[in-house]
Amino acid sequence: MMLDPIANEIRSIVGDEWFLDTPEDLAVYSYDGFLPEFKPDGVIVPGNRDEISKIMRVANREKINIIPRGAGTNICGSSVAREGGIIITFHRLNKILEIEPENMCAVVQPGVVNADLQKAVTGYGLMYPPDPASMFVSTIGGNVALNAGGPRGVKYGVTRDYLLGLEVVLPSGEVIRTGGKALKNVSGYDLTRLMCGSEGTLGILTEIILRLVPSAPAKATLQAIYSDLDDAATTVSAIIGAGIVPTTLELIDRTVLDVISNYGGARFSKEAEALLLIEVDGEDVLVEAQGKRIEEFCKERGAVQVERANTPEEAEKLWQARRTAFGAVASLRPNCIVEDATVPVKMLPAIIRKIVEITNKYDLQIGVLAHAGDGNLHPLIMTDLRDREEMARVDKAMEELYEAAIGMGGTLSGEHGIGIAKDRFMRMEFNQASIDLMRGIKRVFDPNNILNPGSFL
Amino acid sequence: MIPNNIADEFDQCIKCGLCLATCPVGKELFLEKYTPRGKIQLAKRYAAGDLDISEHYRDIFAKCLLCGACSVTCPSGVKLTDVLVGMREEIVRKGGIHPNVEPAVQSLLVNHNISDEDNSERGEWRDDIKELPDHMYEKERAEVVYFVGCISSFFPMVQSIPQNMVRILGAADVDFTILAGEEWCCGFPLIGAGVPEKMGELIEHNIEQVKGLGARKMVFSCPSCYRTWKEYYNTDLELFHSTQFIQRLIKEEAVSLGELNETVTYHDPCDLGRNGGVFDAPREVIESIPGLTLVELENNRAQSICCGGGGNLEMADSGLSGSIARNKLAEIERTGAKTLVTSCQQCIRTIKGKVRREKVDLDVLDITDLVVRAMSDA
Repeated sequence: MMLDPIANEIRSIVGDEWFLDTPEDLAVYSYDGFLPEFKPDGVIVPGNRDEISKIMRVANREKINIIPRGAGTNICGSSVAREGGIIITFHRLNKILEIEPENMCAVVQPGVVNADLQKAVTGYGLMYPPDPASMFVSTIGGNVALNAGGPRGVKYGVTRDYLLGLEVVLPSGEVIRTGGKALKNVSGYDLTRLMCGSEGTLGILTEIILRLVPSAPAKATLQAIYSDLDDAATTVSAIIGAGIVPTTLELIDRTVLDVISNYGGARFSKEAEALLLIEVDGEDVLVEAQGKRIEEFCKERGAVQVERANTPEEAEKLWQARRTAFGAVASLRPNCIVEDATVPVKMLPAIIRKIVEITNKYDLQIGVLAHAGDGNLHPLIMTDLRDREEMARVDKAMEELYEAAIGMGGTLSGEHGIGIAKDRFMRMEFNQASIDLMRGIKRVFDPNNILNPGSFL
Repeated sequence: MIPNNIADEFDQCIKCGLCLATCPVGKELFLEKYTPRGKIQLAKRYAAGDLDISEHYRDIFAKCLLCGACSVTCPSGVKLTDVLVGMREEIVRKGGIHPNVEPAVQSLLVNHNISDEDNSERGEWRDDIKELPDHMYEKERAEVVYFVGCISSFFPMVQSIPQNMVRILGAADVDFTILAGEEWCCGFPLIGAGVPEKMGELIEHNIEQVKGLGARKMVFSCPSCYRTWKEYYNTDLELFHSTQFIQRLIKEEAVSLGELNETVTYHDPCDLGRNGGVFDAPREVIESIPGLTLVELENNRAQSICCGGGGNLEMADSGLSGSIARNKLAEIERTGAKTLVTSCQQCIRTIKGKVRREKVDLDVLDITDLVVRAMSDA
């Protein structure tokens, strides 16, 4: 529990209105999109960088935990007060400071919502590619802290690839700037990228410089249905192997397709074992040609049905299944764990076979959604946290899945983060020397271990 | 006690936060407690015995438009509005009606209308009609009852709506009547106030009145009256919103419409569109007027953003209601249209009020205003 004099000192920094500690406020800042909840001791809603700097000085002096939280949409539990402390939120730091078409960059505050930035840059013929499913809610600050990805990642990469520079308040209260608007910058260690994906454990982002790219004038959207999951997976490798880089290449397996149909969404033929949703973008001539080639690839590799959208409305219809998938699956059982183990794209057929094997072995309900084009799987584990016996099987299944993914040259997490969801598995992917190094880095930034402790490391 | 059906709903919430994207209150006040996800979790915590209903707790639930945007956004199909309404009921059971809403509820129960006037004055909007028929639209028997609604009856700003309605129905030779002083509030404000059990007397009275006239159909210019009758009145009467009824009249060529060379945009009222399922009728009415161009708002149909006038928010927090109206106005202005058409007297009051205060160059019309204009040119 926090002592009153400290709470008062924080109040004097941000103003009474912006230090929240009513039972209602503590209840609603005790969660994010992951399962476990932890009640914080308070919530700070700072109005500027200097207030954050002052808060960190107090927190560092008093050794009070500070947990940064964007919109609380992450699903790895990286923004909850696992070891108590104060949540710091960025609701008031929500300004787009600059959009500079000449430098193809934007400067934003951490609380800007991803989709708001996307909308703002559209007017300049530009785009900000990272498009996590939470983009209409999640903040750029949170996206950077978690190195968020999204369906467009196959072609455009993830948040890290669009990050040019940062302003960061360190746990000591000192302010540093990293990178800048220059596209090339090799001076010193790359602190910008070190901050990216650090899950709020190293510093607090107060300004973010992002790279923008020209928006593509045309796109083609296709949907292919397969009666054999393997055929779908080999189509993915074939497309990528042929040098076509789609913006999106999503795979949905039969379990999920069935759930979507039962949920009242799109209906699929009885023989459908897998669905691929494929989108390419670029100049219209190129997109046209690539669309045709992809259609051929799908048919040659056994697709029983291929549909190509001719209008944006038709494209939206093809996206419908993918968009409803998660909600449909989530509503089936009391809980749904969204996994995101990721493998090199060539290993996609192998890892999907492994998931089917694990599902049967542990007698579980697991559906597979995958950003197949970049090997980023989303096995959806439908379960009930209250059922201890089943949860024990889920734990074993996940462990076996991670071992398989890492054994194939993959990783524990492609885009969701480690947080408190996967911290116990870090040793599978990193040896002791790597973990010691990460802990060393953490100590240099945060010797008192006050920033988001208990998460990640 | 929280009813089981409400608990089933909040147990289904996976805390993904996608509802934050469409909640007008959450976007304005941004703190998690004011978002739909926050309120659902507060309901859950209360049910689990972790939280009491404090004054603050009550105020949080009062800051909601009951517009239903969260319910259509939720990927898990949680009926958030059921929880939000259910919690208002629970809050009243524990601590009474919200003090800002209490006077309206009391007046409604005594006067049978929302405006604190004597209900016998309900038909005064007829005073401005030039060629008023002898029966003054009060017949002893009629096929159709036109249910005017409290706001259009009593608030001068929107009395043109019933004046238009009787003109349109008259021109189409519809055999209709109004209930005048015997029309009682439909009870809709009591739902938002958390006391739906107090609707009984109103429902009974209204149904008895309509039955006594031998009517088989009812038409409503107020979307909330229409929705309340549909959902809370157990009746086999055929119910129409004015947009649906007028659409039929146009199809049957019972009214003829002249040319209007204008560009208009259309605002879907929450209770007619998202919560009532009526999207096409108003658009078909607008598009049947020659020369008229309809440009859609960025967020239209089920994605329409509330004007700020829903959920008794105007009574509980008029400042917040006003800020949301300001956001709505900005969205309307971005279309470039100089005329906004909608089909709800409450939306008109909220938006027109804002337009006047901010001196914005925008004509705000009910769809019946538009139809009457087109009829005059026919």
